Amino acid sequence: MEIELKEIDNNRWLIPKRGQMRVPGMIFSSPQLIRGLLKDQSLAQVANVASLPGIVKHSLAMPDIHWGYGFPIGGVAAFDMEEGIVSPGGVGYDINCGCRLMTTSLTLDEIKPHIKELISALFKNIPAGVGSEGHVHLNKKDEARVAEEGAAWAIKQGFGQMDDCEKTEDYGTFKGADPSILSERAIKRGLDQLGTLGSGNHFLEVQVVDRIYNEKIARVFNLSEGRITVFIHSGSRGFGHQICDDFLKEMGREAHIKNLQLPDRQLACAPIDSDLGNRYLSAMACAANYAWANRQILMHLAFETLLSTLSIGPRDLGMKLLYDVCHNIAKIETHNLDGIDRSLCVHRKGATRSLPPGHPLLPGIFQKTGQPVLIPGDMGTFSYVLAGADGAMEQSFGSSCHGAGRLLSRSTAIKTAKGRSIHRELEDKGIFVQSRGKETLKEEMPEAYKDVSQVVDVVHETGLATKVARLRPLGAIKG
Amino acid sequence: MDNKNTQDYILLDHTADMGFEIKGADPAELFKKAGMALIHVILGAVPSPGADKMKVSLKGYDLSDLMVRWLTEILYLFQGEYLVTTDIIIDSLSDDTVTATLIISPFNPLEHEILREIKAVTYHQIEVTGKDNIWNARVILDL
Repeated sequence: MEIELKEIDNNRWLIPKRGQMRVPGMIFSSPQLIRGLLKDQSLAQVANVASLPGIVKHSLAMPDIHWGYGFPIGGVAAFDMEEGIVSPGGVGYDINCGCRLMTTSLTLDEIKPHIKELISALFKNIPAGVGSEGHVHLNKKDEARVAEEGAAWAIKQGFGQMDDCEKTEDYGTFKGADPSILSERAIKRGLDQLGTLGSGNHFLEVQVVDRIYNEKIARVFNLSEGRITVFIHSGSRGFGHQICDDFLKEMGREAHIKNLQLPDRQLACAPIDSDLGNRYLSAMACAANYAWANRQILMHLAFETLLSTLSIGPRDLGMKLLYDVCHNIAKIETHNLDGIDRSLCVHRKGATRSLPPGHPLLPGIFQKTGQPVLIPGDMGTFSYVLAGADGAMEQSFGSSCHGAGRLLSRSTAIKTAKGRSIHRELEDKGIFVQSRGKETLKEEMPEAYKDVSQVVDVVHETGLATKVARLRPLGAIKG
Repeated sequence: MDNKNTQDYILLDHTADMGFEIKGADPAELFKKAGMALIHVILGAVPSPGADKMKVSLKGYDLSDLMVRWLTEILYLFQGEYLVTTDIIIDSLSDDTVTATLIISPFNPLEHEILREIKAVTYHQIEVTGKDNIWNARVILDL
């Protein structure tokens, strides 16, 4: 299908409503970034999402949009609660894949002599890679508690502080979880994977605050130039993958029986207001909670490793959670549509929530700043911290981008990296990386990603979020 | 493990993920090749023959759905049960049912070096088509 694209301004492109589309598509991008989208099928995916029942306003794409499966990665879509649908493919297999950022009192000078040793220790202490098992082995009863309580469960076991919850999206607990509906396979896969990083693009990175854009907000976020931060990107592991799989198959069969015509089978969905839709949302909540418990435990493992490797006490380390956000989720939220507050089911598939100052869902500490929005880049350049802004509520159902977005396919990245040592190239830039997967470093090489700075600039210029700080990588572990 | 690429599948370029295309003389050959292609994408090699056998029987609502369920089963055995499928005998195959014998081997990190994690076998652009003795399938994986 040929996609018509109309430029609205320098940062917004419209896909006019045509064919089966129920609403237009809206892409936040830049003249440079949009050119890359014409080569793949991501714009057709925006149009496909626009054809789903009950979608309101626009099928949206953030500036890090790239070709996904079903929904584009970087896609946002909101659905009416009565006529609309919920789609497991609109959330993704890695339910509540997300980011967590910790600030510390350490300075670059203090950590620089130890960075290699620190990365090795993190690599040793934090399970990563395919099929890795965590330090926490759950029985079924405890797994059900994890699925219901999320980060709070991990904190009760001694992994972190109680006030970490208020610095986590939804306070670290997704309401409505019902572990009793999960398949035996999902339960089995969740027993041994808590406290594991995963593989692919998941990572734990040690960084330094390299530049401050907004002093006032940075002060509240405890970010200042030269300070060390720790960034985690991980999700709900095999537990979440299995839940998505189980419901995609059930919804696909249902669509077949009812003879529903879907532009892509991966867009299989169920009415929100149905038994199947409700069961998916309850199962998805279990995986969201699992992911929050997982990142809470990963944070604690990093905390302990920093203490032991640097031989310092908790006070000297001064590690504090800044925030934890999810970027693969479907949530029932209130949004103002044409002057009326409406309850909508907002799907974010590779998109981060971005709540502005004063939003009632934010805790007191972020009432004046807006929600911290965490945007990881590739391992060779930068990550960014932004703050939620009013423009997100007006234009994107309170959403922002979630990363740089891939530019090269994995096979092209491997070909590009042939004969090169990515490990050595990064080390030459002062970035120490250890990974488990044989091809991970090649597939995740910096050139495989768009320029995160360009992506973040679009977000800033369109008012979806405000730039606060830039973080430069010093070292990372990957699955 | 044998590191040679068996050339039984073609890797597809997909920005975020990875896919493969396979050809076969009939649907049974297609399903066998697809199963082994999945293992090859994960391990980057053909695993040494396993000693155990396992019967698998799956139902789908058409051949494309059946292909996703079939590959998902092989992936689950690897990720959830730590069993590597080393060979496949398709016992019977119709438009909505596949019955097969899998030759399996317990996952051994010393022998089975993992190249990449596959999160799932997706329905995105799934296609199983063909007639007479020319059959094709396209599968996109979530990485």
